[in-house]
Amino acid sequence: MLAARASTARNAQRLARSFATVVDTTGVKVAAVDYNQPTASVTVLVKAGSRFEPKNGVAHALKNFAFKSTGSRSAIGTVRESELYGGVLYSALGREHLALTAEFLKEDAPYFVDVLTSFVTSAKFTRHEYEEYVAPHVSAETEAATRDPAIFAVDAAHSLAFRSGLGSSLFAPAHNDLTVDDVKSYASSVFTKGNVAVIGTGIDQSTLTALVEKAFAKVAETSAVSAPSSKYFGGETRVAGHGGPQTVFVGFGTAGSPSAEHAALAAHLSTTPSVKWSKGLSPLSSLPEETSVRPVYLPYSDASLFGLLVQGSTPSKVKEAGQAAVAALKAASKSIKAEELKTAVAKAKFAAASSVDTREGLVRTLGSKIFSSTDASLAATLSSLDAVDASAFSKATAALLSAKPTYVAVGDAKLPYADELGL
Amino acid sequence: MFGPLGLSLAPYVKSSRTLSKWVTPLAKWYANAMGYRKYGFKYDDLITEENDEMQRAINRLTPRERYDRAFRFKRASQASVLHAPLPKEEWTKESEDVRYLEPHIQSVMQEVKERRDWDTLVVERRK
Repeated sequence: MLAARASTARNAQRLARSFATVVDTTGVKVAAVDYNQPTASVTVLVKAGSRFEPKNGVAHALKNFAFKSTGSRSAIGTVRESELYGGVLYSALGREHLALTAEFLKEDAPYFVDVLTSFVTSAKFTRHEYEEYVAPHVSAETEAATRDPAIFAVDAAHSLAFRSGLGSSLFAPAHNDLTVDDVKSYASSVFTKGNVAVIGTGIDQSTLTALVEKAFAKVAETSAVSAPSSKYFGGETRVAGHGGPQTVFVGFGTAGSPSAEHAALAAHLSTTPSVKWSKGLSPLSSLPEETSVRPVYLPYSDASLFGLLVQGSTPSKVKEAGQAAVAALKAASKSIKAEELKTAVAKAKFAAASSVDTREGLVRTLGSKIFSSTDASLAATLSSLDAVDASAFSKATAALLSAKPTYVAVGDAKLPYADELGL
Repeated sequence: MFGPLGLSLAPYVKSSRTLSKWVTPLAKWYANAMGYRKYGFKYDDLITEENDEMQRAINRLTPRERYDRAFRFKRASQASVLHAPLPKEEWTKESEDVRYLEPHIQSVMQEVKERRDWDTLVVERRK
């Protein structure tokens, strides 16, 4: 009886702090969530995304330098030792952050935290590793990105929408003059204490804090890097495609912190049905055959890009679908029915809540807030979505549409121009 | 076992002050007597390059170093065709005869060794 009661008390405690609290440990922000998952993961998040890079593609090269030789172990040592422990290592680059992640069994935390932090504190950046391993990977990823019209279109849209900063591409140019010294100097400018945050899942906050404290004891205390605040420009571009579906991206951006209205708009236009094998109730659910329209909502720390990615098998079908998409967007900016808004808000809330269920989603949600020290809890996101009403929704959509559109066409020369879609 | 560099007593000789004092003049004389400097070579140009380790080491040279190496090879083979050493001003000076490739060979050999160690590793259960 007593035991049962004690465990309930512990459960209640666990539920109460079921979302991470951010702790500042000797200059490094640490947040951990422990739901008693069977495995743990640690993500070292560095403000070293492509928006901070001094030269095109440096951030991409730095991402591919992850887990190469450091002061503690060589590249092959990292790989083989991680295999022996049975962990997984990966790095991911965004426009804001570089994320180095390790997933592992709980008891191996000291080793994997050391693998991640030793890259930040003592990476060697040797020239031969750059030439033998990093540069081929960088060019392969760039090549793969140009073959995917959707990725290519969204990347091009960013450079039109925000020009510098957020506009710089996630991928290094196909023919670049990057050297290992560029990567090294970029790394030394971003790998500083104020620029690093550590997020753990399935690991106890105090354990992680102790490990991080030990690892970063010798790192210099310097402030975070800063980039000029983003401005929205917009524009139009047309690029020949390398195979893949005909693609058109119609985007609108705003400067300033992301708003809940835009998340609701993305949910309102989302064509993903809630029930399998149905068409859904989105205003875009009756599109011509072999076409698709996906709303793309990309919030950043000081700007956001909202857009519709229209894809189809032929340019004429893309034109038809694009016109329908733009018409739906314009209709949403005039007025929205109360029940439609209710559906959209519910959908957006579910998307926000369910993203926290996965490890990647949790890191993404926390990562966007950990550096700005805003309220990182899910409740804040959900209540801001609850506060969306019809007039605010239409007003936000109209404000979005009043800006100059960002228009990218990837594929055939016959793809429609922006004015042909009614923009 | 020793890789492209072969067996060398140099580290042992260098570690002893008396020994290096006696051996260094002999070594300098021998390097000159080998005659490769008369053909514009550096010592590291003479190491057999027909193996994977050397190919990797050569690939780690800077583009400038790689170009210079190829140039020395061409110049020497031309001299060989002419059956005569280079003119004296083109001989390699002692100060120019540096081990430009040796550090790269060492690092390649260290990697090869580390890979072999990991490949033949015996894992023991944690106690």
